[in-house]
Amino acid sequence: MLRALTAPASGQILRGTINRKAFEDVQRRFRYVLVVAVVSSVASAPISAQLRTDSPPAYKAPRTADGKPDLQGVWQALNTAAWDIQDHAAGLGVPAGQSVVEGNEIPYQPWAAARKKDNFEKRLTEDPIAKCYLPGVPRITYMPHPFQIFQTPGITAILYEYDHAVRTIYTDRPHLPGHIDFWLGMSRGHWEGETLVVDVIDFNDKTWFDAAGNFHSDALHVVERYTRSGPDHIAYEVTIDDSKVFTRSWKMNMTLYRRQEQNIQLLDYECNALAEEAAGRLK
Amino acid sequence: MIRRTFVFASAAAVVALWCAPVAGQSRTSDGQPDIQGFWANQTHRLATYNIEGAADPVHVLLSGNPTDETSLIVDPPDGKIPYQPWARARREDVLDHHTNITKWEHVDPHTRCFLSGIPRMFYQGSFQILQPPGYVVILQEFNHGTRIIPLDPRPHVGNDITLWMGDSRGHWEGNALVVDVTNKNDKTWFDIVGDFHSDQVHIRERFTILSADRIDYQATFEDPKVYTRPFTIALTFGRTVKGDEAKNYELFEEACHEGDHDTQEMVRRLQP
Repeated sequence: MLRALTAPASGQILRGTINRKAFEDVQRRFRYVLVVAVVSSVASAPISAQLRTDSPPAYKAPRTADGKPDLQGVWQALNTAAWDIQDHAAGLGVPAGQSVVEGNEIPYQPWAAARKKDNFEKRLTEDPIAKCYLPGVPRITYMPHPFQIFQTPGITAILYEYDHAVRTIYTDRPHLPGHIDFWLGMSRGHWEGETLVVDVIDFNDKTWFDAAGNFHSDALHVVERYTRSGPDHIAYEVTIDDSKVFTRSWKMNMTLYRRQEQNIQLLDYECNALAEEAAGRLK
Repeated sequence: MIRRTFVFASAAAVVALWCAPVAGQSRTSDGQPDIQGFWANQTHRLATYNIEGAADPVHVLLSGNPTDETSLIVDPPDGKIPYQPWARARREDVLDHHTNITKWEHVDPHTRCFLSGIPRMFYQGSFQILQPPGYVVILQEFNHGTRIIPLDPRPHVGNDITLWMGDSRGHWEGNALVVDVTNKNDKTWFDIVGDFHSDQVHIRERFTILSADRIDYQATFEDPKVYTRPFTIALTFGRTVKGDEAKNYELFEEACHEGDHDTQEMVRRLQP
């Protein structure tokens, strides 16, 4: 969704948060102008990573045998969200990076903001990844490892190299009743035109969004939107809702890139086994 | 001449049998025989204790019932793994200590929530087969193990890469899925009592579809570092849920390591 637009417009740089309703008004009235602005910005390098648009996707993805947009292949995020989903300077072993959070603000309730700060201070030991736990959703998407999407009628399966994590996203049935604690939640998908929309609930409260201590409760509700934006790109948008921790819902946006190597395939990263090996307990 | 003709005719019959469509066998969009759904091993169901076939003393103690003592090994005929002497000694050491461990080498990799390896993934709980275009994907419920089997003729990954579930390359021969597995690490076992292979193991699997609900599985293990000759394991897979029931069934996340307390206990015992 368009929240921040960075595009050359009339020789000026338009930057920052735009009131959403106001923007939509502008968009309705000046869609053509906007398209020209976007196209001209795309045509002129460098292109800002922050470029986002509410317009219907211009790209129409190839279809699977049962007529759904084809998301299959080996993909990977190319950003620093696994370390910190917000703007951050470099640290030792941590590349600097720009926010994938819309507006760079996570609307914590006051107690939760304090807890996040505490998490950050203890991050080297308390990050669930440091204990080799499954990363949760959406963090599994932007771990610095590839993942592969497979589609069969009624199922979109995502297999991740990190910790041999797997999500079987059924697109033909509703969620099961009751709260069940899962590390990766329970995923149900449906198609909206070019977009696979995945509704994820039934989380536990033990995963973080990143290595900087951003966290959630077991009331977390994640909605992911996977939209092919070109032959080798997926626009990935995530809406986060958690009434126990945040004051409102908020969003992340990023691009997923198709791995181009001819011989690309998932290998493995067995975190707990590697930790045991490092501790001298696995010969 | 008559004899030779008979041999040829037999061979042709075998090929015809391999390639004959199984009655009611549907196909995926890319033409694979469709074996998607939920499966589990149905032969020697407690084989995960000891694939050479032996009563599990702990199981007998707890349940009062004897376990299946049939070996999974169909070749050699004695049902024993053709270990080199040093390898047999290593395995016997684990057998002797598996209920009373004195070192990490006695600990079953499953206990530590490591992946099952091959073929143990097929007799540790149930599994789901998906067939997206160009692939067979196998999802194991235990420890959410996965295997991705590409069906195109791409080469295996380089020799220096070892993987917990190996590197699989498959193709269909009529109604049989044939899979070649290399690049397997040496850290998984066949069972609880320490039957093992090295990182030089070469596995050839054959999944033969006998009917819509039954698959015969055979896997041959060749490993010049550990065995004196190849040996073959046979299993039979049946569907765990069928028809409409399968439309409401799914595997659940089994986060093994995340709930593991055994390893900390063993650290306490083995590293005082």
